[in-house]
Amino acid sequence: MRSVSRRFGETVALDGVDFEARPGEIHALLGANGAGKTTLMRILAGLDRPDAGTVEVFGRRIESFEPGPIRALGVALVQQHFTLVPTLTASENLVLARPEGALLPPGRTAGVRVQKLVEKFGLEVRDGVPASQLSVGERQRLEILRALDADAKILLLDEPTAVLTDVEAERLLGVARALADQGRALVVITHRLAEVEACDRVTVLREGIEAISDGSVDGYTRADLASAMIGTDTSGTITARTTRRTQAAPVCLRVRDVSLGRVSSLTLDVGEGEIVGIAGVDGNGQSELEAALSGRSAAESGEVSISGEPIAPGDPRSRRGQGLAYIPSDRYSWGLIGPMDLADNLELGRVLPIRPNRPARHKAARPSLDHWDVRTAGPHARTSSLSGGNAQKLVLARELDEHPSAVLACYPTRGLDPEAADTVATRLVAAAEAGCAVLWIGAELDELLAVSDRIEVLYDGTLFGPYLPPFDRAAIGLAMAGDAADRARTATGGEADPP
Amino acid sequence: MTSSDTRQPASGTTPSPKSTWPPKLDGWLDAVSRRATAEGILSSILVPVVSALAALVVGGVLIAIDGVNPLSVYQAILQGVFTKSRGFSYTATVATPLVLIGVGYALAYRARVFTIGGEGQYLVGAVAGTAVVTAGGVGDLPRVVLIVMGLGAAMVAGALWGGLAGVLANRFGASIVISTLMLSFIGDSLLQWAVRDGIRDPESYNANSRPITAAALPSFFGQKTHLGFLFALVLVPIAWWLIRRHRWGFRIDALGHNPGTLDANEFSSARVTLSVLVVAGGLAGLAGMVETTGVNIRLGQEASVGYGWDAIIVALIGRLHPLGVLIAGLGMAGLTIGFESAQRQFELPSSLVSLITAFVIIFVVWGDAIAARWKEAR
Repeated sequence: MRSVSRRFGETVALDGVDFEARPGEIHALLGANGAGKTTLMRILAGLDRPDAGTVEVFGRRIESFEPGPIRALGVALVQQHFTLVPTLTASENLVLARPEGALLPPGRTAGVRVQKLVEKFGLEVRDGVPASQLSVGERQRLEILRALDADAKILLLDEPTAVLTDVEAERLLGVARALADQGRALVVITHRLAEVEACDRVTVLREGIEAISDGSVDGYTRADLASAMIGTDTSGTITARTTRRTQAAPVCLRVRDVSLGRVSSLTLDVGEGEIVGIAGVDGNGQSELEAALSGRSAAESGEVSISGEPIAPGDPRSRRGQGLAYIPSDRYSWGLIGPMDLADNLELGRVLPIRPNRPARHKAARPSLDHWDVRTAGPHARTSSLSGGNAQKLVLARELDEHPSAVLACYPTRGLDPEAADTVATRLVAAAEAGCAVLWIGAELDELLAVSDRIEVLYDGTLFGPYLPPFDRAAIGLAMAGDAADRARTATGGEADPP
Repeated sequence: MTSSDTRQPASGTTPSPKSTWPPKLDGWLDAVSRRATAEGILSSILVPVVSALAALVVGGVLIAIDGVNPLSVYQAILQGVFTKSRGFSYTATVATPLVLIGVGYALAYRARVFTIGGEGQYLVGAVAGTAVVTAGGVGDLPRVVLIVMGLGAAMVAGALWGGLAGVLANRFGASIVISTLMLSFIGDSLLQWAVRDGIRDPESYNANSRPITAAALPSFFGQKTHLGFLFALVLVPIAWWLIRRHRWGFRIDALGHNPGTLDANEFSSARVTLSVLVVAGGLAGLAGMVETTGVNIRLGQEASVGYGWDAIIVALIGRLHPLGVLIAGLGMAGLTIGFESAQRQFELPSSLVSLITAFVIIFVVWGDAIAARWKEAR
């Protein structure tokens, strides 16, 4: 792939990226969220097309980016999200992907086909059970088998280990090595440093540009890779706070041994007036943490309390009454009701049993909209007509207007332009300086470095930290890529995870 | 439908919010329950009216195929409904259960709780109410007390029947469409058992209950229209007020538009779902008893005439708005009554009414799709 570029609207996903995969090698593609890894691989697999640049497969230049012809050349992409038909068995899924003739083969023939593949590649998969009943690891192996069934010469694995246990992940990398030894070219997308070490070559993408281009894995230390991934440029879009809190404040938001999904036994305190940033690559338990802390879901165990009072799940009005404001990661799913007007959305959580009439409601909403600078046609406008930044300001207006004692802010600047992001950050910092405990879950490290009094890194459902200002960027970057977790594991003596 | 807000933000200047608006809302229910705009009012009134006219045209073609002049049939229908002294009285009587059940459906559908269980709730309500007013030892009570007891029992029974579907949905994730449908079949079986065995009149040769004349609803407007029609008329503004001014109505609309946001910020969506099913069930149960004590003398096997199904159509054509439901209910009742007399007069097949109402539905759905596309094109 030569100087491949791709933009989506205003966003530049890839900016002149060169990439090569060679037979017999495993090439790691490393990068933080939104670095362009997946876009690059989708282009190579023909699921997307580049705006500029060329792609060659075995010396043949790709002209039309269609998945079919490219697959015929031997390129196979195993996507991050499973694409098996959940109700079909392993053999049925394989037949579906590559039918032989118009008639379905008898069950036994199809079973033999699976059996042969399983033996040939050493990828253990049970047949005769619907794919939905297979373990995550098995499903992953079946996806790979399906790619190999089509005789893939170039195998692209998009974050194959994200959902696997450590033992399974190790086993998968072993299989990848064996496949490379057979002369196949493998590309593994990852954000875990430990996995890069099992590869031959590495390319690091950051914001659509190669930070390390096609280097030999041996030539880089973990710290090199981590800093290439997160960058050293500290000039974020968000105005950095000039003063940080240094002494401990009374605890306001208390999280004790909370477990939910990926998150296991997480404990955390946020003091009054303190901003705690939760850094980490997406999918390490952020969404479960958000759900448990906001009371959207009941935690499997543990307790979240605010000023000593536990937060009851499924009771948003009490949560608000207790003083916990919630800025959801997806404002359109959990924050706003698009077809309703601004005044209605502003009232959520404190709607009176008998509501004033509409003109009165609109009038009541106006000062708040002005104060938070929600630029709109007026309180009567449909919320879905707002731009992202104004929609987020509307959420802030609702959540922060009543002077909460704690704020759970999940990706509060996601999808906003720099100006709007800065406004949102400034408002949250102002809330903290007024004595509010702010827990800021974010994906962009720069942003967290700019605002936090303390940073904790969420990796695989566990917190690593604390990191205190002045922040050691490199150390946080390493922790985000799992280095702290690896070392903790080595220290406690090996494999804690059950297979 | 009072405020008409045409001051939309200039959509041409901002990058279309559609792409940033992930919840894919199934088009037309959204179109009908959203806040009124001038365009919205136009399409929400124009579409059903034009659809009804178009359906009548298609019906006319079918009548013509039968060898009768459709114009004279329609003329007879109009005469039947509007000029005959009993015409409107009959229409109001038939409209009563349609409106009572239809308003319940409208509330539920605004919340996107797709219950179709009105028929079962209606029958269960009729059985429970009849059981109470024909029980031993209540015969000496004053008529007013008996009426209140009967209607109350019917509402409670219907509410429980509807609430059961809500519990099944919230606890086990059962589909509300399926469970309310199944509960309707069970409700019908319950009626069959009740009139043959449970509350059968032992002195009657036929399978029916004891006479319920002691609890009969008073009539007005001549001899046919009963107190139930007044209930329907009162219910409409109450439901309208609930939607516009009460928190419960707000939560219903919020549930319909975005359950995730409702759950995270205002109230448990499961409990709103349950409440709306209980209320819709209660109204259907009330309709069952109102029909039994207002029109019939006993509860019999034939109590199930399909009001619970027809009211679905009434709610949809009425655009999930209480006033719309009232108009649609009267319209459908008028069509039914009118065709009944025209049918005898011109020897037409009895299936014509259902054919025409089915065409109304098809044209409404079609018309909404056209209106949505037309709106998008602009």
